[in-house]
Amino acid sequence: MIVVRAPLRISFVGGGTDIPAFYTRYPGRVLSTAIDKYVYVVLNRTPLIDKVSARYSISETVGHPSELHHTRIRAALLDAGIVNGIELASFASLPAKTGLGSSSTFSVALVKALNAYQGRKINKREAAEAASRLEIELLGEPIGKQDQYASAFGGMNVLQFNSDHSVDVKPVLIGYKTRLAMEERMLVFYTGITRDASSVLTEEKANIDRKFETMKEMADSVSKAEAMVLKGDFEALGNALNQGWLAKKTLASNISNQTIDSLYTAGVHAGGWGGKLLGAGSGGCLMFLAPLEKKVAVRHAVAQAANAAGLADFREIPVHFVQAGVEVLHNSDDGGPEPA
Amino acid sequence: MREFISEFSEKVQETLQHLPVEEIAKAINILQACYERDGRIYVFGNGGSLAIATHWVSDINKTIFSHHLSAHSHRFQAVRLPSTESEITAWANDVGYDMIFAGPLQNYIQDSDVVIAISSSGNSLNITKAVELARKNNVPVIGLSGFDGGRLNELADAKILVKTETGQYEVVESAHGTIMHLITKYFKDYFDHIIENRAQ
Repeated sequence: MIVVRAPLRISFVGGGTDIPAFYTRYPGRVLSTAIDKYVYVVLNRTPLIDKVSARYSISETVGHPSELHHTRIRAALLDAGIVNGIELASFASLPAKTGLGSSSTFSVALVKALNAYQGRKINKREAAEAASRLEIELLGEPIGKQDQYASAFGGMNVLQFNSDHSVDVKPVLIGYKTRLAMEERMLVFYTGITRDASSVLTEEKANIDRKFETMKEMADSVSKAEAMVLKGDFEALGNALNQGWLAKKTLASNISNQTIDSLYTAGVHAGGWGGKLLGAGSGGCLMFLAPLEKKVAVRHAVAQAANAAGLADFREIPVHFVQAGVEVLHNSDDGGPEPA
Repeated sequence: MREFISEFSEKVQETLQHLPVEEIAKAINILQACYERDGRIYVFGNGGSLAIATHWVSDINKTIFSHHLSAHSHRFQAVRLPSTESEITAWANDVGYDMIFAGPLQNYIQDSDVVIAISSSGNSLNITKAVELARKNNVPVIGLSGFDGGRLNELADAKILVKTETGQYEVVESAHGTIMHLITKYFKDYFDHIIENRAQ
């Protein structure tokens, strides 16, 4: 059996500049951190059972991976040439579509696990690339690479997306005092509204010519935001997030909506420095940076707005930053029986 | 005598003023990630470096958590390699001296682990063999080297090179001792902070 875990991520600035339509014209940049919420993928070799089993929100058992409903598992198994004798399950700390990169995090854990299953120990970069290839090339999803890299590498990083499609990962080397101070000033709320990143990103992609200058500013704001983090100036970062969020909303009509705006405004009016919706837009999680003495007020104001909007699944999610990226936690797989 | 003492301490001070800050920060991150996944840390070196390795294992496992020994969900798991004298002599006598670290490391190594290799020259064959094994397994390597860094500095993920003229073992090992204590103190303060703030 093989157990792999990969962390979800929070992206602070630059999200959206990781798609080829942008970074082939201007370097994309994202500042993000891995958090202590994980996706786990478990694989088990079943040489005596000629089936493929996949267990996630539902359970599928089929004779050949091409019959699977789960697109990523199907594509990954077919690509790896694994046709039967395998059980695969996934577990997660949070539901899907929260804007914390869960679907790409799943892909990162999946490709790491399948490689281990085939006797290959791939490194973080290889895992990020393999997951990106699975999603973007094999499945044609209109997404970027920031989530795959953020999850595979772990820690807080500035990711740079170059015109030759390479990605530079520069760790933001903050000590525990700065890290804990930032965590303490951060509030993350799950809105209870789920969305599919692809629909937002498709419109965003179509708008790219019109919005190129805005995206350039977003990419350029990353180094300023990085400097604020290194200095521990979270008020400045909160203000920058506020500006970034207002800029991002202009990229596609469906990035925000009235409900999300009402929650966001409530948080800022209650004393939050600023924040943003996490992920591509339309739903997911809302994150704020706020002074310590205003945290309780922000928490109440946002909860009240959520209540007024009838968001039944709304809740606060406690978050800590983590250094660990994608990792094999357990591997007792024996490589299977020798070919007869 | 006075002159000798000040010359030596000046040399050590100079190397300490030029420590590779970013690489030490990377090493701290590697250890932090290892703690989060409850992996193990294997530390080794030859001669004086083996003494530093032994000292460090004790600091990582015990000193870091000293102020609140039972308050943590788990503690670091560091192991000095080889962990017994019998293994050193068995590998050296039966297989060869260049296998005294790589041999025992092969018994333990798992994906979630970390290796700390200490070598002033960075070129001791037994060190580089073990580091190559770690790399083959994609296990992160923290390399503490001296002089021009040698092969260890090329292979390590966190390249902690104390740059000196070749042969300045005493200076290099003194700086390595300081780096060991610096990293120990970072985590000691960090874990103290976590526990003491939780109690409030």
